[in-house]
Order: sequence, then structure tokens, then C-alpha cells
Amino acid sequence: MASVEADIRPRRKGRPSVSETAAPSLVDILNLVRTGRATTRQEIERQSELGRAVVADRLGTLGELGLVDESELGAATGGRAPRLVRFAADRGRILVATLDQTALGVGIADLAGSLLMEHHEATELTQPAPALAERLVTLFRWILERQANPPLYGISISVPGAVPDGGEVLFQRATPAVLPSWESFPLVETLVAAFDAPVWLRSSVETMTMGELHAGAGDGHRTMLFVKVGKRIGAGLASNGELFRGAQGAVGLIGSVPVTAGGQSGTLEAMAGSDHIAQEGRLAAERGLSPALADHLRRGSPVTALEVAHAAQMGDAAAIDILSQSGRLIGQVVATLANMLNPELIVLSGSIAQTNDILLASTREAIYGACHPLVSRDLRVIRSQMGSSSGLVGAAIVAAEGLFAPSLLRDWIMAGRPQAHPLFQQLKARIADRSPFEENAVRPPDM
Amino acid sequence: MAITGLGPHGERASAPERVLLLPEDMARARASGFRVAIVLHTTASDWAKQQLSGIVGTLGNCGVAVIEVVDCAFTPEVQIEALDRLISEAPDAIISLPVANSKVAAAHARVAAAGIRLVLLDNAPTGLLPGKDYISLVSADNFGLGKIAAEGLSPHVPHGAEVGVLGYDADFFATNEREIAFVKWMQVNRPDLNLRVQRFSTLADAGPATRALLGAHPDLAGLFVVWDTPAIAAIEALHALDRRIPMVTADLGHDAAIALAAHEPLVAIAAQQPFRQGETAASIVVSTLLDRLPPAWIALPGLAVTSANVVECFQTVWRMPAPREVLQKLSLVRATT
Repeated sequence: MASVEADIRPRRKGRPSVSETAAPSLVDILNLVRTGRATTRQEIERQSELGRAVVADRLGTLGELGLVDESELGAATGGRAPRLVRFAADRGRILVATLDQTALGVGIADLAGSLLMEHHEATELTQPAPALAERLVTLFRWILERQANPPLYGISISVPGAVPDGGEVLFQRATPAVLPSWESFPLVETLVAAFDAPVWLRSSVETMTMGELHAGAGDGHRTMLFVKVGKRIGAGLASNGELFRGAQGAVGLIGSVPVTAGGQSGTLEAMAGSDHIAQEGRLAAERGLSPALADHLRRGSPVTALEVAHAAQMGDAAAIDILSQSGRLIGQVVATLANMLNPELIVLSGSIAQTNDILLASTREAIYGACHPLVSRDLRVIRSQMGSSSGLVGAAIVAAEGLFAPSLLRDWIMAGRPQAHPLFQQLKARIADRSPFEENAVRPPDM
Repeated sequence: MAITGLGPHGERASAPERVLLLPEDMARARASGFRVAIVLHTTASDWAKQQLSGIVGTLGNCGVAVIEVVDCAFTPEVQIEALDRLISEAPDAIISLPVANSKVAAAHARVAAAGIRLVLLDNAPTGLLPGKDYISLVSADNFGLGKIAAEGLSPHVPHGAEVGVLGYDADFFATNEREIAFVKWMQVNRPDLNLRVQRFSTLADAGPATRALLGAHPDLAGLFVVWDTPAIAAIEALHALDRRIPMVTADLGHDAAIALAAHEPLVAIAAQQPFRQGETAASIVVSTLLDRLPPAWIALPGLAVTSANVVECFQTVWRMPAPREVLQKLSLVRATT
């Protein structure tokens, strides 16, 4: 990485050029406006500690680049109404996708991460990677046909497993080995070649964490622990407003923690996940322990975890027991994390947690019971406000945060488009130069 | 028939049977005195009338009073005004067909925020979430409709031919899904064909869009139009150009049924079931008012209609006899002289 930067930055001699001196303040000002920390010139001057003339000059530049908009007036507080400075989220678009075991979701968002369009279809992740990638490209092309303007700034994809890229915050410069069957397929390079935009890959728990932090229950919080309960159980951590990605990008794989309940031992996923809840529910219905679930069978519908959750909500004793047990086990594991990390907020997500108060209540009880008093003093444990769109929204936020991260932004802002970033240019050149021999060696050499 | 598509947020489809009402449910509903309002895009079309009679009839069976039926005339402003007015009436539930996407999203969100159960028909504005902003969405399996149309057209187009797709240039869940599914089926099963897409933004534009498509690709050997009304406009445009090419569409309207019975130019239609959709929407409302949890998305399978089964499908869909012209074309009645 260091050698790459040395390659692309010529040695500086003498006076720095204007672009070099302006870029840092442009980056600061744009991010103050983008994150809503400053909405008028006066606030920008105060927060950035830059002089009035510099702020006016930089806002002029940002206006020309189309990244801020000063056309609206704010409320007057005595005297003239101040001109509002707003981030022009419509300046660019971000293509987003979620890949999971059985479905492919695609959408398009503005630069603030708001979804403008989404489509989901059934697919099998086990199909050959080139076929899946081709479908993804086809759907992206279809969306761009419908929403051709404004220009594309980035692509962000949520994938079902951890993204082992060393916790990178910049866009992907090679395809990491996300899934065994994808190991020999250059997904990132294919997308860059097809759409000429930087690509981010994140695990589904990571994108959902970002979605929740920015557009759901975590809005306004800095430290949040996100727990997804489904067939698999995983966690994501937002620390100081940013996604914590660990050494390998493999944070929060808590489903494999061993737990014990009722004399049985197993992983948290196997002992508390939705498959376990459904299985226990079916047994309770067949044994006549649960009138509500037996009634469900009588209506000819299968008993899934959601039915168990609903029966519990209606007061069915057997169903309440099943969910309480799951909640307790999840809570015990999450309490350990909370004691270590001291979050402001713990969000439970997944369709069972979101439609059911019992699982939430028993998880809460276990967390509060096992947390240090200082940790649990102001800790809130709530359910997700986002539902199934959080993956797409979160993917959009990942790209937006990446695009405007100071370390990335400073190298493209003067050109007004992220494609001008030298590392992206380098990636494109490498893709263009790829010899037929290298095309088969999918993972380009480490940089 | 299996549902092939996914819901607006990737939900798995549930069958209408999931909200089956048992006699004891109906008895409980009758004892509760619920009030429901209905907000439709239009009440003028056959499709809307059928759906409405499915809703109102089923609610009647359950002793639920329909306090108002609003015709929004496809206008977002009318819908927003109607929803806000109905919120102040505080019905137990509102059934609404959103006439636009982002424009009407906030007004629909206010319904749920006011504690009124909201059941959506046909599409969910982007950003609204099931469970939080609405109870459930009922729609046709639009992805399945696109697939049925593609399967119906395929045998009528020769190898290597060009096939036209006349799509709707608006961000609408239903028409988007049909177009994506049609194109996907063709790309997977008929990779030999070349698809040519053209879109119209208003109904009046459907004829000119057809002429533009034919002008750019004079060798078209097949055409898919995303629903029947523009398909009829396309048939007229083709007629004026003296062109005859096999066509498929979705929705079994009156004129489309006649064209299908003649087997020319329509060769297949993927039909929705508006009456059943209305019955299902009403069952969802009653289920949720009885505190049962309906699924986030219920989809009704489409019917694959050809000239061979157009009479019975017409009866299934519209609950009335097929038009006389259809019966005549199929020699089921004597032609009038």
C-alpha cells in the first residue's frame, strides 16, 4: 500500500500547487455539510476554524463541482435569513446489491444512501459465479437504463460471508476470497470493467449494521452493537460512528460460540437460531403442548420460527418457553460482548426479533443481568427499525462513507468525480492490461 | 402454481390461504364492529371494480363496515388528501393502492403512525417497510406474469428473430417485475432471440412508442406489452402499419380477450385475478384486526390464457360470461348476421 502511494504521488518540490492546498479544506467543509454538522456558512466557519474568504472560496468550488447546494434560505434569527448549505445527494448515484443464499437484491441510491428503487429475485448462490455475476450486471444495466442520470459514483455489494480484505476502508482493488465457489472469479474487476466505478464489498451483517446506524434505530448514536438473529446468528459493531472491521474483516461471528442449556451443548446458532425455534415449535404442536401451533397445523400451514414467534406473542405458553430459552442464550453471549465494548445501543434484528417481544424481553433480561452496572446504566436494547431493506440501505451507506472518507476524498475531490482517484485509475489500467494468462489467475497479486 | 417472484423488499411470497378465515374468525369479527376505508387508483376500470367487489363482499361477510371508497383518479395529490382526511376519521384499517412511488410514501406512513392498520394493494412505495409502516402487501405475482407471457410467445417466434418489449417508463413495482421477468426468461431459454426494448410514459404514448420500435427494428417477429390497455393501442398502431406480428401481454381485459380469441395478433395473455386479490385483501384486514399476524407479502398466481381456455379464464377472472365476440370467434355461439 505504502509503495503504491509512493508510486502515484510524484515528489513534491517548491511551493505546493493550489489544488494541493485547497483539497484538505474542501474535504473538511464537504464532510461538515454532508453529515449535517454545519448548515450555514457561519456554522462552517465556526466548526472548521477557517476564515470567511476561504470558506466562501471553497463553497464556490464545491458548488461548481455540484456537491453542495446553496439555493435555499434558512430561518432568520434576527436580521437576514441565512443561506442554507446543503449536501447535493443527487449529484451521483450508487448501485447496491445484496447476495444471500437464495436471493439477489439490487437497487440504486443517492449519495446520502437513500434508496430510490429496489428489486429482488430468487437465485441460488451455488450456481457458477460467472452466471451470477452476469445476472448482477444485467440487472444493474437495467436499473441504469431507467435512472441514467446523474452519474454513477460507486457500487456496493453485501455478501453472505465475511470479506477477508484486511479491514480495508478504501474501495476493493482486487476480489477478496469471499466464498469458496467465488475464489477463482474476478467479481470486482468485472464490475469495474462494466461500470467504471469503484466497488465495495461487505458482509451482510456489516451492511445491515451500517443501515441500522444511519437510517434505523442507531441514527444519532456513535457506538452500537447489532445482532442479527436468523438461521445464522452474527453481530456487527459500529464504533465511534464507523464500522469496526477487525484485522481480517471477520468481526462478530458469534454464532459459533458454544453454549449449554438443559443439559445440551451446541453452538449458539444451533441452540437458539430460527431452525431450532421452528423445530421446537413443531414438536410442541405435535405433542399437544401448544394449542396455538396445533391450530396452525390444522389450517394446513407449516410451523416456521415466525409462527412460533407469533404464537408466543398471543400468549401460548409452550411458544413463550421456546423463545425465552433462545433469548436467554443470545443474551448471555451478547452480555459478554457488551461488557467488553460498552455500547450505547444494542439492536436485535431478524424477522423473529422484529415481530416478537418475548425474544427481545428475555435477551434484554439476560444482558442486563450479566452486565457490569456501569455498562448497563444507560444501555438500551431495542429491536431493529429497518427490516429487510437494511442490507441495501447499508450497502449504499458503506459506499457513501467510503467515497467521502477524507483519505479517499482528498485524492478525487479536485476532479469532482471518484473515478479520477489515482488508485482507481491504476486498477483500471491493470484490468485493461490483463493478459489472457492472468485472466485465469483470478486474484491479482497483493499490492 | 408456484410463485416465482420476490416481494418489494425481497420477501418470500405467501399464498392467499395463509389468511384463510375460519367461521370462528368471522364470528369474532362480526362481534367487533370494525370500520374500514378503501383508497383506489381508480374505480372506473373493470379490474378495479372486480377487486372492489371482492373486498367489499368479503368484509360484508365478516360484518365489517366499509365507510368510504375513494377514487384517486391516478393522482398523487388526491390520494394524499384522501389519506389525511381518512386519518381524522380514524377507521380501524385502510386498504390503499399507492398511485405513485416516493410522492405518496409519507402520506401512507402517516396512516400507520396514527395507529390505523394499512394494507397495500399492488405496490409498496420505496422506503415503506412491512411491520412498521404497513401490515401487508397483496399483489399479483408480477414476476410470474412476465414469465408466463414469455413462455406463451416463445413458440411463435422463429430462431434468431428480433422480439420487441414495450415497457412502462415509470418506477412501478408491478410493471418493472413483469419486464424483468420477461427479459430474463427469454435470455435464459431463448438466447437466440434479440430483444429490443422501448418504453412509453403515458397511455397516449403507447401507439407512437410502438411505431418508433417498428421504425427502428422493422424485422420484429414478436412483441410483449406490459399490460393490456397499451397492448390494444399497440395492436391499432400495428394495424395502421399493416403489420401482423404475434403479441403477448398481461391482464385479460375485454378487448384483449377478443383479440386472443381470434388468435391474432394476441397469442397468449398472463392474467391477474382481481376478484380473488380483493377477497385476499379483505381477509388480511380481518386477520390483522383480530390480532393475527398476516405475512408481509401475499401474491396471487397468474393464469396462462390462450384461445383454448379464454372463455373459462374470462369467467374465473371477471365472474361474468365472456363477451359475445369471444364466443363467436370460438364458434361457441352462432355468428350474428
